[in-house]
Amino acid sequence: MVVMLEPELEQKDSTLETLLQTPDGKRILTCIQCGTCAGTCPYGEYMDFPPRRIINMLRRGRIEEVFKSDSMLLCVACYACMTKCPRGIRLSDVLLPLVKEQTLVNHPTLPAELQKTLQNILRYGNPMGESSRKRVAWKTTAPVPVPVMAEIKRPVDVLWFVECYTSYYARGQDNSRATAKLLHALGIDFAILGNEEKCAGDCGQLTWESGLFETLTDFNMEIFKKYRFNRIITGDAHAYNAFRIRYPMYGFNYRIDHTHMLLAEKLDQLRPKLTKKLNYTVTYHDSCCLGRRAGMYDEPRALLRAIPGVKLVDMVHNRANSICCGGGGGGMWLDTFFKEKGMERLSERRVKEAIATGADVLAVSCPYEIFRFEDALKVIPHDKPMIVRDVTELLAESLGD
Amino acid sequence: MENATPSPAGNGSWSPRIIAFFCNWCTYTAADLAGVSRLKYAANTRTIRLMCSGRVDPQFILEAFAKGADGVLIGGCHPNDCHYAEGNYKMLRRFQLLKRMLKDLGIAEERLRLEWISAAEGEKVKSVINDMVKKITALGPLDLPGKFADWDREMTALAHAVESAPVEKEVAHA
Amino acid sequence: MYTPKKHEPVRIGFYVCHCGTNIAGMVDVQALARYVATLPNVVVSRDYKYMCSDPGQEMIVQDIIENRLNRIVVAACSPLLHEHTFREATRRGGLNPFFFQMVNIREHDSWVHTDRQLATRKAMALARAAIQRVPLHKPLEVKKVSINPNVLVVGGGIAGIHAALVLANAGKQVYLVERDPTIGGHMAKFDKTFPTLDCAMCVLSPKMAAAGSHPNITLWSYSEVVKVDGYVGNFKVTVRRKPRYVLEDLCTGCQECVEACIYKEPKFRDEFNLGLSKRKPVFLPFPQAIPPVVLIDPETCIELKTGKCKKTCVEACGDRKAIDFKQKEELREITVGTIIVATGFQIFDAKRTPYYGYGIYPNVYNALEVERLVNASGPTGGEIILRNGQVPKKVAIIHCVGSRDENSNRWCSRVCCLYSLKLAHLIHEHTQAEIYNFYIDIRTPGKSMEEFYCRIAEEGINLIRGRVADVYPDPSDGATGRLIVQAEDTMLDCIMKVPVDMVVLSVGLEPHSDTEKIRRLFNMSCSSEGWFLERHPKLAPVSTFTDGIFLAGCCQGPKDIPDSVAQAGAAAAEAFSLIDKGNIEQEPNTAFVVEAECSGCKSCIPLCPYTAISLLPDKKKAYINEALCKGCGTCVAACPSGSIVQNLFEDAEIFNEIEGLLAPTSF
Repeated sequence: MVVMLEPELEQKDSTLETLLQTPDGKRILTCIQCGTCAGTCPYGEYMDFPPRRIINMLRRGRIEEVFKSDSMLLCVACYACMTKCPRGIRLSDVLLPLVKEQTLVNHPTLPAELQKTLQNILRYGNPMGESSRKRVAWKTTAPVPVPVMAEIKRPVDVLWFVECYTSYYARGQDNSRATAKLLHALGIDFAILGNEEKCAGDCGQLTWESGLFETLTDFNMEIFKKYRFNRIITGDAHAYNAFRIRYPMYGFNYRIDHTHMLLAEKLDQLRPKLTKKLNYTVTYHDSCCLGRRAGMYDEPRALLRAIPGVKLVDMVHNRANSICCGGGGGGMWLDTFFKEKGMERLSERRVKEAIATGADVLAVSCPYEIFRFEDALKVIPHDKPMIVRDVTELLAESLGD
Repeated sequence: MENATPSPAGNGSWSPRIIAFFCNWCTYTAADLAGVSRLKYAANTRTIRLMCSGRVDPQFILEAFAKGADGVLIGGCHPNDCHYAEGNYKMLRRFQLLKRMLKDLGIAEERLRLEWISAAEGEKVKSVINDMVKKITALGPLDLPGKFADWDREMTALAHAVESAPVEKEVAHA
Repeated sequence: MYTPKKHEPVRIGFYVCHCGTNIAGMVDVQALARYVATLPNVVVSRDYKYMCSDPGQEMIVQDIIENRLNRIVVAACSPLLHEHTFREATRRGGLNPFFFQMVNIREHDSWVHTDRQLATRKAMALARAAIQRVPLHKPLEVKKVSINPNVLVVGGGIAGIHAALVLANAGKQVYLVERDPTIGGHMAKFDKTFPTLDCAMCVLSPKMAAAGSHPNITLWSYSEVVKVDGYVGNFKVTVRRKPRYVLEDLCTGCQECVEACIYKEPKFRDEFNLGLSKRKPVFLPFPQAIPPVVLIDPETCIELKTGKCKKTCVEACGDRKAIDFKQKEELREITVGTIIVATGFQIFDAKRTPYYGYGIYPNVYNALEVERLVNASGPTGGEIILRNGQVPKKVAIIHCVGSRDENSNRWCSRVCCLYSLKLAHLIHEHTQAEIYNFYIDIRTPGKSMEEFYCRIAEEGINLIRGRVADVYPDPSDGATGRLIVQAEDTMLDCIMKVPVDMVVLSVGLEPHSDTEKIRRLFNMSCSSEGWFLERHPKLAPVSTFTDGIFLAGCCQGPKDIPDSVAQAGAAAAEAFSLIDKGNIEQEPNTAFVVEAECSGCKSCIPLCPYTAISLLPDKKKAYINEALCKGCGTCVAACPSGSIVQNLFEDAEIFNEIEGLLAPTSF
């Protein structure tokens, strides 16, 4: 198996100038230019400077030339290069964000869609530019009561960080409603932050906007400090990533789990409640942040196997070798830009593999994927119908009523 | 940086003195390996080579502290790897007893350390020594010889006081 | 031999070695010599460029004579390296060699510190400790222990076979113990060997046969060492002989029983061919197996599983009566003086690099499987036929699978580049297929190896510099099992997606998964990777830290056949040199009881792992049998009355050392 790299915390103050003096930078000096990073990069063939060449330019003092290229705009922060790197160089965590940041500074224009999104996150605390007062609106459509920290005024066991897509978009809210139903069924003492919550900012960070990321971090950290709880869960793989890897640099030391981890932990209690048979063949897409970055390959599969009637099949690329949906690192808002460059959308590449398995359901664990794969399925021809569902949604469906 | 070598004191400033008892087969060899590999670590330890950690007499440790050591490090083979079958276990037993005793003497726990370091673990010699130097530097000097001298002075003064003072009436017991 | 009289004043000679700049570069050796000259009892204090050189040693000898020295202290490298050298010099000067003490200021000082002043002060402290200690040294005599001339060789691969033959030819009795049913090891599975491309079996089988029939070799195959007691010269070894349900001395190797087995067709995984073919429950691992004796697998034999077989094999064996279903495992005890460990390696399990698809796509093979496929006596008779029955037209060979990778094994496995080139040649020769070798670096050190690389390159193999990142089924051609190999061609800066029919994974070499068990058994050390550790990487490459145990072949680290054989020869020579001498000298560091002070409390008796201590019944005093004592000193440290003394490590000597190290000026 591919061994997960230690989730080492990053140096907050690494810069490209000082990088080669840090322990991570010294590892860069050990690069053997084998090209595994370029070969495994889903957009490697479109880049003038895939990671291997970036490293060499850096070592030769010619990194400036890299900033002039738009190669780093194509990086979807999928962690594939980092996972396979035989030298254990922490590309996606350390080197690439720094190069991305400089690329942005050196680029005259930013793709409009992305620019708008970043502005939205800064102004409204969510990428879609919705009012922060509507964040909690989905709660009224939930099948069970969803307590809000500011209202209940007491400590809870589990603080559920809902996140943006799962708050504002109808298809995302399906996931939230399912989560609420499951937490309720398991008798878990939980609450959400409601309108106080803001985007965790993972993509802002991975989209080279470290200033924006820090604004969001500071804001969310202040809110966390207001309340008492034992642990935090989130259904958003990116938020999970941010809390696990980046927030600890800013003093975050809560236990953080993805919803699927909590559910897998309670599987013995959950299993008898999964009474409704779902006669689906399901293929599970390993999201980058949960799979490659956190080594969480088995928990979602265990949850799916617990659903009566479900038959699990794997796509050609699975687990550590999974292909990104293309939404990370800002890719969520660069589809137009990619299309202009004549590049294949990764979500389309991925659903082709899903279709090839003959599955009825493409199961996911990250809210971005719902939108990306449902979109892709609209354009990729397939004979047998296929639906996209978060693992949580499938579990809630099996829960019956 | 976590691996930085703690800088031993230059002229004037205090820096700990650590006596290390290393067994011939594992830890002494590991320290040789650290040398051959040119690993760099703090210059605060002085090593005494013994055939086995089982040879470490608790008196050696007490003597080292009494003579001014700020720390004592004992290095032996890993459990089950002792060249002499089980000398390291014997050391472990003594170590545990001695730890309790040192505590009663007011000697901080971090000043006595037992580590299993195999002949291949040159890197561990470095990290253990650096870590120990860091911890003992934070604790400050132990200076038992100085304390002994203080106590001696106190005792002399006390004896002197007792001798020269007029004999007081005994306090009746309640 | 001159021994100072009891009341004669102590006269110490102190010598500090520059070791070129190795010591002098970090320690101020002149200052050290000047400082030591001021210490009590020091008569001579000198520094010299290379103390271990002849003039350096001669200086000690002359000083002893001219200055009537009676103690010698040398500050140089590790005592594990040169203590013996300087003890000899001390002896040549006419002193008892144990009137010597060594100070390690290289490995423990100049090589590990960066501040010259601190390193010098440390050297002064260490030297002072020795100066304080050495006056207490006593004259001691070296103990001689005789050596049992028999040798145990563990592992019957090419290294073990060669070492066994060298010693057996020299007239020594050798026990060759092999875990598998036959000797031959990995080499027996290879087709051709690089760089000569001569047939592996043609070279190996005569040596196997010689080892099998040599009058001085006791070959125990299908056997494992389970226990090793004792010490150099006198090891007691227990070997478990697994039942093969066939009596070795009665079986003629005719294989009529195999023919007659109730299973008409071979049905079970053939381990020798790595599962690429089938065998019956009774089988000979391969035609040239040594010993040429069949065995019965209890997992698949009906008789052994149920006791309800017609036993057609027994019928076929007839009067030879070689089959014995009642055979039990046996434990044999042997005594040997030296041991050669040649337990080899295992290949990297390519499933641990899942993106190469091994175990998922049938057309992905590891290199050892391909060795069997191209071998004329292999499962396909030397035809390269894929699992789908086709002959490949395009083949990718991926180098460095499970080598040079932080995610699996970090080391370079040394042989893969060359065997990958060899396989490229062989596959091309057999199939005319187009071959793509994907490599990170091509490493071909060694005699004739670069020439071999050139030769293969000239054959038109596509050598692509880029590590493969992904192997997956060709989406446009799913049914044929064709695979896409994706890598960056780092010379062209472009991503290649090469469709191929067959992928060969050049898997690296790694220590056996039960290495830890073997290591414990022989009380050896392992490097952090799990290879057995040699005593010194340059000066004692086949010795271990346990006297009398030597290493040969890949168990010490990846190497090719010539190097394995050379190392086996070296190990045999080391063993032979011990045996030929007839005895070994042992450090006189044993313990003894000062009877007058012993209270007879018996605390020491259970502490001794060698049962060397007993209570003298008449005197009620402890007594240490010097022949059994190994000199660990555990009893000394535990004696409540301080009545046990360890030679070379007396309490007073250690106390003086402590005092010397901590004297006020020391830091």
